[in-house]
Formats: sequence, structure tokens, C-alpha cells
Amino acid sequence: MPEVMQEPQAPVLPGVVAVAFSTAYLIALLAVEMQPLVIGLLAFGIVAVLAAHYMDWLDPVSRSFAEREGVLSAYAILAACVVAAFFHDNHFVLLLFVTVLLYAVATLGLNIEFGYAGVLNFAGASFFGIGAYTSAVLNTYTAVPHLLVLLIGGTLAALIGSLLLLPVLRTRGHYAALVTIAFALLLKTFLEVNDVLGGPQGMQVKGMSILGWSFNDNFEIGKIEMSFYLNYFVTSMLLLCTTFVLVRRLERSWIGLNLDAIRLDETAASCFGLDIARWKITAFVLGNFVIGLAGALFGMVGGFVAPNNYTFADSLIMVSILLLGGIGNPWGVVVATFIVLVLPEKLQTIQEYRFLLYALIVIVVLLFRPEGLLPRPVRRYFPRGRA
Amino acid sequence: MTYLLEARGLTRRFGGVVALDNLDLAVVPNEIIGLIGPNGSGKTTFFNVVTGIYGAHGGSVTFEGADITRAPSRAIYNAGVSRTFQRSRLSLPLSIFDNIMIGNHKRLNQGLWFNLVRRGQFKREFEVNYVAARTLIEVFEPQLAERMLEPVAGLPMIDRRRIEICRALISQPKLLLLDEPSAGMTHDETKELMDDILQVRDLNRNLTIVIVEHEMGLIERITDRCVVLNFGRKIAEGPYRQVAVDRQVQEAYLGVE
Amino acid sequence: MDVGLLSQYIMNGLMLGMMYTLVAVGFTLFFGVLDIIKFSHGDVLTVGAFTGLATYIGLRSVGVSSTPLLLLAVLVVSILAMAALGMLIARYLVLPLRSAPALNTLLITLMLGTVLREMVRLFYPQGANPKPFPALLPTDSINLGQFNLRLDNAMMLATGVAIIVGLRLLLNRTKLGLAIRAVAQDEETARTMGINFTAVVLITFAIGSALAAIGGVMNGLYYNEINFGMGLLLGVIGFSAAIIGGLGSIYGAILGGFLFAALQTLGAVALPFASAYKDVFAFTVVIALMAWRPTGLIQEKISERV
Repeated sequence: MPEVMQEPQAPVLPGVVAVAFSTAYLIALLAVEMQPLVIGLLAFGIVAVLAAHYMDWLDPVSRSFAEREGVLSAYAILAACVVAAFFHDNHFVLLLFVTVLLYAVATLGLNIEFGYAGVLNFAGASFFGIGAYTSAVLNTYTAVPHLLVLLIGGTLAALIGSLLLLPVLRTRGHYAALVTIAFALLLKTFLEVNDVLGGPQGMQVKGMSILGWSFNDNFEIGKIEMSFYLNYFVTSMLLLCTTFVLVRRLERSWIGLNLDAIRLDETAASCFGLDIARWKITAFVLGNFVIGLAGALFGMVGGFVAPNNYTFADSLIMVSILLLGGIGNPWGVVVATFIVLVLPEKLQTIQEYRFLLYALIVIVVLLFRPEGLLPRPVRRYFPRGRA
Repeated sequence: MTYLLEARGLTRRFGGVVALDNLDLAVVPNEIIGLIGPNGSGKTTFFNVVTGIYGAHGGSVTFEGADITRAPSRAIYNAGVSRTFQRSRLSLPLSIFDNIMIGNHKRLNQGLWFNLVRRGQFKREFEVNYVAARTLIEVFEPQLAERMLEPVAGLPMIDRRRIEICRALISQPKLLLLDEPSAGMTHDETKELMDDILQVRDLNRNLTIVIVEHEMGLIERITDRCVVLNFGRKIAEGPYRQVAVDRQVQEAYLGVE
Repeated sequence: MDVGLLSQYIMNGLMLGMMYTLVAVGFTLFFGVLDIIKFSHGDVLTVGAFTGLATYIGLRSVGVSSTPLLLLAVLVVSILAMAALGMLIARYLVLPLRSAPALNTLLITLMLGTVLREMVRLFYPQGANPKPFPALLPTDSINLGQFNLRLDNAMMLATGVAIIVGLRLLLNRTKLGLAIRAVAQDEETARTMGINFTAVVLITFAIGSALAAIGGVMNGLYYNEINFGMGLLLGVIGFSAAIIGGLGSIYGAILGGFLFAALQTLGAVALPFASAYKDVFAFTVVIALMAWRPTGLIQEKISERV
């Protein structure tokens, strides 16, 4: 019986310090309004990261996260709650925060398809929008309980996605790319010409309410006014944590291995028994379900849906998040979502240029650091043990 | 006697080129067969047709009596046929363990519920298989067994070949197809590799091997008999010493005066 | 349906088919030579159209008013500019990623397409709005019974045909064409035979992008209007046309281009109440075709060695 390898465990401290700093930084960035201050803060952030890189502080942090992920995740959740508490009566910041959380969920779904299985999906935002429109339609015309609406949104996105993917399952990657791009373009036109779905103006979405608790009313704890967005914050955090755990377990399982095998070498994979079609569909259904679910919740958070928010360009933003953060790394997805969504909100001048800017950034990333900000580490099925 | 693998009149074309031309080839259980012939004689194409990567334009292939001519690659793997590739096909970003496990697909529980929810049970299955992979690679190179979780990308060619062979062996196949395992290796490394393969075969008498090779010393040493191909046809068959002096074989390799 | 209306539809279908073919041929050239999908092709078409428009405006503002001269200038400038752009793209974005997974090249060209599109939208004066494109071809028409043959359409069609024929001649009868075909077949062997791989790639990209420029100008002349998003859908259509025809085959690109146009026209005729659905119809049929014949109606070049 081989000996169990006892390695000293990486310390938690570097990870905790990183989380604490990031939280403080985020709070500052979200709170600051004046543009010069924002720019200063951003510059400081970049310098800090570069300094940490050169002082070799980033390595201990990533080892910390790799081996003590459970504990650090708990700290990260705590940090998020701290941020939310800090802005407890600030509608604008909370809405932005919730948007980031839900986009992170959707991009995690995209990661399953793109990052693990290698199925090219350039209609991520369209499926997100399908979820949102599901909320709009069901909340307006039916009395379906809202939690069920979320599930239906996810299911619909998964179903439509499968219909789209089935014809091109046995073909090469660029077919799926083509089909999803065509879908993204055509869906927008479809939504715009259909007055039933509100046409170009879109539809209103009734806010969420569970068992009589309406999510769209401000409430009080003690004497303190709380923004109603806190309701959505809690729901979104729950969704993000569940999705994160799901993605993690998926990666650290035989299924994750199958997906990687398919992505890296289909021919060899099929010579070792893998049913390529089955696993691609599985990844696509799972991924799209997550995207649709997040979208359904997002519809209720935002209060309205319109075709202009779910275009091909928005799908490319999701792909940019994935590539920038580090394809296949869920932490990368979360970090990159913050960067990509918060920056244009704070730096008003780049709002208009964000598609151009992120496309350029991704080009640079692909040329010089294709593995992204937080590269995906080698699979460790049970990080705290010997493997 | 029933053949383990039998090809009859097997034909495969690529455009105007006939890669396999009415080929008859039979493999007896538990033997080690060498498949030799000049470049382009159809050896790798034979493997590709047997494992279902290419279809056949004529003829048939049976495995253990069942017709696998039109079977998909994964069904052929499930039946017990495993292979390595001429151009080493490992997943470079993945770890040694991951690469070996890819070969173990049919013995792993692939259910969603098992993998995502029943983590305790999954952990047990993982540990059993970790030990199995480790034990296997130890036969070939004990040092690799200490580095199971390193990515394959940084390893030298001989280690990659070893890992590829382990990937093919981990599922305890009945038939192992080795495609030029010694390509890119020195004489000593090749000898070592072959000793290891023979060692594995001794531990598992149920294994039949077909090996494509250009190194004749190797073929002479470990095969029971040879089949020689030229232009997609069998031109000679028999123990190495016999085919080595066959007139047609010599012409095929060296050309006619 | 009366003959006049029918011939109108046919003419329209032919024009569309021609434009799609020009785009599809570009895709097929890039895939054939480099095994890559250059997703920015449609947006190069857009930039070509806008370059042509800018040339026109520039020349008009300095007093040039001879229509043939303007047309010539528009074509020449946009062709040369796009050829140069194509070569830059090849040199700095595509060739460096030769050893990376094919996905990276696809992604980088997709992003590049966005960059081109956004740059037109943001930096061309009022780029977000559609812009009128001048009519630089004679607008008279010849009366053929119940059908009016517009001279400008006829000329564009003839030009398109000439270009395709010219391209075929180039590929099949010239040394350059031979070099391109050699590289498309087998890069390594072509190199050992002394063919300058980089040069062939750059020239191929130049040719493909020049075709896009012509397509863009043609588009502008036909619709009398261009907008920053025109290349996106055209690119997707051109790409699918190239696929169903069979990636790597010029004939396939022609077949695919006209097939898609025919489907769109059919869709428009069959569903007159919602013209937006003609695209959905055409794409659905195309996707079904892809499922039926994944390698295209004319065999796609298989490049993987097992």
C-alpha cells in the first residue's frame, strides 16, 4: 500500500490578505464618484498588482487559493456581504453589484461549454436574454411562482441551445461558432419585430416575490433603511455559490476529465470510449441552463427586458470575460467579470468605447498571455489530500 | 481456432490512393504480432480502420467473432481494443494521471449524480484508480509515479510514450495496438520500453499485441510472427527470420535491381 | 406571378448570390491556405465600403465630378487599402498564432472584426447612422418585354463573374496560383519545394481582402446605402455559404453563395408578411444541410493526419 504523501499545507494567510485588500479596494472604487479620483484609484490598482507580481507575492496567493479554497471561499462570501452591507442603501451600487454577480454566474455556465468542453457558444448573451424574456412573459401573463420561473428560464435556454447544437454536433468547432453567431444576430431581429414580446422597446418585468415577500420593496432592519436590491443580492449570492460549487465539482470529476479530453483531442477521446456527442450536449445543456437561470433572475432584478441588451456584441463581452480571466478557471471568471463590468460604469468616458476596448484587450491577451489573468491550474481532484 | 481479430478483404481508399487493398490479416489470441512494411504500406491505416477512425470501402473486420467493420470507435474500445498513436497524442496541459485515466473510461462511473453529488463514493473510486494508475506507471518508470499530477507538456518523448502505453493498458484491454512506439527514442530507450511491455504482458497473459515498427531488432526480439505489408497488401507472413529473407519483402524495402 | 415580378426576384437573387459568393470565396481562400477561419472578413468588407465612400467624398470635395473616374478611384483605393489591411492582419495577428490552437485564431479574428466595426461606428463621422452611397453606375435600364434590366445591376453581375473567372484563372494557370494551391494542399512539402510560405499567405490574404473590398463597394452601389453593421451578417452568410459549398473549394463557395441567395429569395416569396423571417428560413435550411453533409456539398478539405 503506497504511503499517503503528507505535504505541508499552503498557509491561508496570503489568500486572506488578498481577499481583504480586494474588498477594501472594491469598496473604495464603488464609492468614489469623481472621475479624477476613479482614474487615480485605477492607476493605483494596476501599480499594486504589478508590484505584487515583481515582489513574488502573487505565487503564495495562488497556492493559498489552490489548496485552501474552501476556507477562502467562505472569506470571499463574507467579503461580498461586507461590501453589500457598506452600500446597504445605495440602489445604484447594489444594482451594479448584483449585475456583476449574475453575469459571473452566466459566464461560469459559458465556461462549462467553452472552457471545459470546447463547444463554441457566441450567443451567451442571447441565452441570457431568453431567460430574461421568460421572466418577463411568465410574470406578466401568468401566476407561475417566481422560483419556478427561474427554472423554466434555465430549461428553455437549455432546450433551445440543444436544438441549435444538435445539427452541428458531429462537425468541427467552427460550425458551432457559425450557428451560434447566426442565432445571436437573428434572435435580436426576431425580438425586435415581435410586438408580442414588446418589440424594440421590450417589456416590463414584475419584480420577484416569494411567499408574499416582495423583492421590490425597501425594508428596514432596526431603524436602518435597506435598499430592496439587497433581496436580490442574497438570491444572487446563493446562485453564484451554488454554481461555483457545481462548476468546481464538475471539473474535479471524471466528467470534467471527459470534457477536457474532448476539447483537446476528439479523435483520441473517441478511441477511448468517449461518446463525443453525449458529452458535448451534456456540457451545453448544463451551461445553458445556468445561463438561462441567471438571465431569468436578471430580468426580475432589472425590471425590464429589451433586445438591445442581449446582442451579439454582449455575447462577445462574455467571451472576453472568459478569456481575460483565464479560460477554465472559475476564480478568473469572477474576477474578470468585476473588472469588465465595473470599469465602464465608473469611468464614464469609456462606456461608449467598451466593445472596442475589450476586443482590443482580448487581442492583446491572445497574443501575449492566452492563459489569461488567472491561468487554470492542473486538475487536483481533492486538493487537500495527496491529489 | 478462433481468431481474436480478423480482417478479410479489407479495402480503404483516399481519393486515388488505395491504402488498404483487399487485405487479409488474422490475429491469434495471446500472440505478439509485428506489422511491418515500407512507409505508406498501410500499417497505420489498418489500425485506423480497425479502431473505427476511418470506414472501410470493402471487406470486413471482426473482433472476437463480432463484426466491427462499421462500429464507432468507442464501441470498439468497449469491446476491448486499445491503441497508441504514431504521432503521440496525449493531452499536453493535463496531468499524467489525467492522461492515463482517459484510457480508463469504461471502468469509471460516468453518472452525473455520482460525480457531482456523491463525492464520498467518488473519492473512493478515485483513490482506487489512483493506485492502479500509479502501479502501472511504476512498471515503466518509477520516477513518473512520484509526479502523477504534473502536466505532461514538460516531459521528454520517452516518458510521453510510456504514459501513452499506460493509457492504453489501464483498461485491461484484450487487444493492444502499438503504432511505432519506439519512434523518437534511442536504442537503449527502445530496449527498455520493450522489456517493460513484456513485463506487463507477463502479468496479464490475456493480452494480445499488434505492433507496428521500423526497428527490426525489436521486432525480431519480441514478436511471435510478422505480417509484411506493401501498398496495402500482405506480401509475407511468418516468424521474423523467415520474412526477413523473403525475396518479395526485400524488394519492397530496397527496390528491385 | 407575372414574369416581370419573377424576373425582379431572380435579378435580386443573382445580385445577392454574387455578393455572397465574393465573401464566401474569401473565407474559402483563407481556410484553404491556412486552415483558419477569419471571422473579421465581413467587417473588412465594411471598412472597404467606407473607404470607398470616404474616397468619393474626398474627391468630390476637391472638384472631381467625372463619374467613371470617381468609380475607378473608389474601387482602386478600397481594393488597395483592404489588400494592405489584409496583409497586416495576416502578418501581425494570424501568422504569430500559427502554433497556438486553432481556436485562438478564430477568437482573435472575431475580436478584430469587432474592433473594425466599432472603429467605423465610433470614428467615422456619425458612423452609427447609415450613410448614403453614391450611384456611380449608369442607372438607365433596358426594356426586355415585361422586365426592366437595370444597366448597373447587369454591369455588377458581369464584373462579379469576371472576377470569379479571373480568380480561377489565377489559381489554375499562374505560378502564383500554383504556389497557393501547393501551400493549401501541404504546407511542409510546399516549403521544402522552395515556396515562400509567408509571401504566399500574405498575398492570399491580400487577394481575399481585395475581394471583400469589391464586395463592399458593390453592396453600396446596389443598396445605395452602407452602415457599420453591414459586414457582420454578410460575413456570417458568406461563411455559411462557404461551409455548405465545402470549405476550401472555390466552386463550393460559388454554389453556397447562390444557394443561400436562392433560399433567401424563396423565403421572401413564401413569407411576404415578415421579411425578417427570410433569414431565419435560409439559415434553418443551411443548418439542416450542414447536419446532413458536414463536409459540404463539395468535399471539405480534410487536413487532419491521424
